[in-house]
Amino acid sequence: MKTNLFNSLILALATLWIGFSAARAESTVDVIANNSVAAASLDKAGLKDTLTGKTAYWPGGEAVTIIVLDGKTDAGIEESTGMSASAFKTFWQRLAFSGRGKQPKTADTVEKLMAMVAETKGAIALVPAGTATAGVKKIEVK
Amino acid sequence: MTPNVRSAEVATNDKSAAAPSKEQSFLRLDGTDLHIGDLPPITFHGFASQGFLSSDTYNYLGKTKEGSFEFTEAAVNASISPFARTRISAQAFLFDVGNVGRWSLGLDYAMIDYTLRDEIGFRAGRIRRPEGIYNSIQDIDLTRTSVLLPQGMYDARWRDFNASVDGGSVYGNIGMGGAGSFSYEVYGGQVQLTEQGGVARWLQDLLNNPPTEYAGLHGFPQAGLQLWWTTPIEGLRAGAAWTEAFGFSYDYKLNVPPVFGGGPHHSEIDAPSEHVSLEYQHKSWTFQAEYKHSVYDSKDDLRGPSKSGNDTWYVGAAYRVNKWFEVGSYYTEYYADVSQREGTDAFQKDFALSLRFDPLPWWIVKVEGHSIHGTALLRDNANNPPAMHNNDGWFMLALKTTISF
Repeated sequence: MKTNLFNSLILALATLWIGFSAARAESTVDVIANNSVAAASLDKAGLKDTLTGKTAYWPGGEAVTIIVLDGKTDAGIEESTGMSASAFKTFWQRLAFSGRGKQPKTADTVEKLMAMVAETKGAIALVPAGTATAGVKKIEVK
Repeated sequence: MTPNVRSAEVATNDKSAAAPSKEQSFLRLDGTDLHIGDLPPITFHGFASQGFLSSDTYNYLGKTKEGSFEFTEAAVNASISPFARTRISAQAFLFDVGNVGRWSLGLDYAMIDYTLRDEIGFRAGRIRRPEGIYNSIQDIDLTRTSVLLPQGMYDARWRDFNASVDGGSVYGNIGMGGAGSFSYEVYGGQVQLTEQGGVARWLQDLLNNPPTEYAGLHGFPQAGLQLWWTTPIEGLRAGAAWTEAFGFSYDYKLNVPPVFGGGPHHSEIDAPSEHVSLEYQHKSWTFQAEYKHSVYDSKDDLRGPSKSGNDTWYVGAAYRVNKWFEVGSYYTEYYADVSQREGTDAFQKDFALSLRFDPLPWWIVKVEGHSIHGTALLRDNANNPPAMHNNDGWFMLALKTTISF
């Protein structure tokens, strides 16, 4: 009886842990880009380098333009760059005002962001997971 | 490292992606982007800051005993990427801190930047000089919590000496797998000094005392290196910098008969510095610590050779409470002569507490208190007679507001 109870407890904890891990692993954002961007996928380090200016150009030589959905992808910024949204903003202001980078653009709605990404060559953006991506390309993050 | 592209497909349907539609005019402003026909957009950003300084014992960074609004910074920059892997950018800047700067408009940077690959790129023109966490952005209020940076390391008055060089740099970022990444920037060029700058004001204050008289100063070549190691610990980076000012020089007159050494004189200084930095960002916290040591190797045709050195350090922390409020604090010490760490004018120690409010995304307001001991950074004898200096504590209030776009 005691063994059965113990086994059930272990099973329940394991199930909870697996569920919790799966929830943690699931990203809150999708990555989209302008159709001119040649890349179809990025690994997590490549995405971080792109969003933090270490990679300022796409492989074809086109400048990366970051577009931020104001206030709606803060968790995604943190999971992709390791920085809070306010730290991310300050980080880019430091680069821009010292001549070392191009400050991200911002959009206040998903619709405006999608239009900006569709219009801007080299653009990359984070959108809430599951957002329809017509007119832009979705970048797979591996 | 370029992005790790697992599979690539070149889009063929994007030819009109950036082209203006028929209804769009030849010249149009879209947010901060200026579009001219089919050319890549020119992006503009800028800011303006106005501060107020008030102190209870000494005039520091202006005539602050009576309260000083002579604390202003403003800049506008523009950038364009006209060719693949190439960016051209420039920033106009003006500032005033007490009697330094005097709102004189200058070119802060103006350069062409070519990135061959992530590991190597080149900048040429007037570039902001990298050194430590803040040198390249020391006068950009919106990029930090505090109003005043630790002044022994980032003196607001000495920006013409520290900010930019006319020359070039080679830079890059090298991935090191599980060991993080390593970035570098090596630079060299000529530093331009102005008669409204902090060095000139310091020399004028020091030398315009009969029988000596200030007679001018000269730009000088400078070279240096900044290294950063972004460690595998998320948010932790460590930096080391070296720089040397080669032959910074100034002239003065001694108005006494030639037999007593009177006439024009020249002084020349080589000044190498080492600077180490540590920064850790974790969620809403930022922790920073830096140390800098400088040597001044002087040759003066009247006083002969001399050698001295100063050093300074600080530790600081900031916490972003929410979207509109941040609090920060630092403690810093500066020693004017590393061989003489006690006595009047030997040191300045400063504990600062800062509150930053962001009521709107484009508007910042800051309130800051400084509890200071020592007078080594006053450098304004005309308004602080040396006879009144002592090591008792004194206080400074700093207020600042910044708007940006």
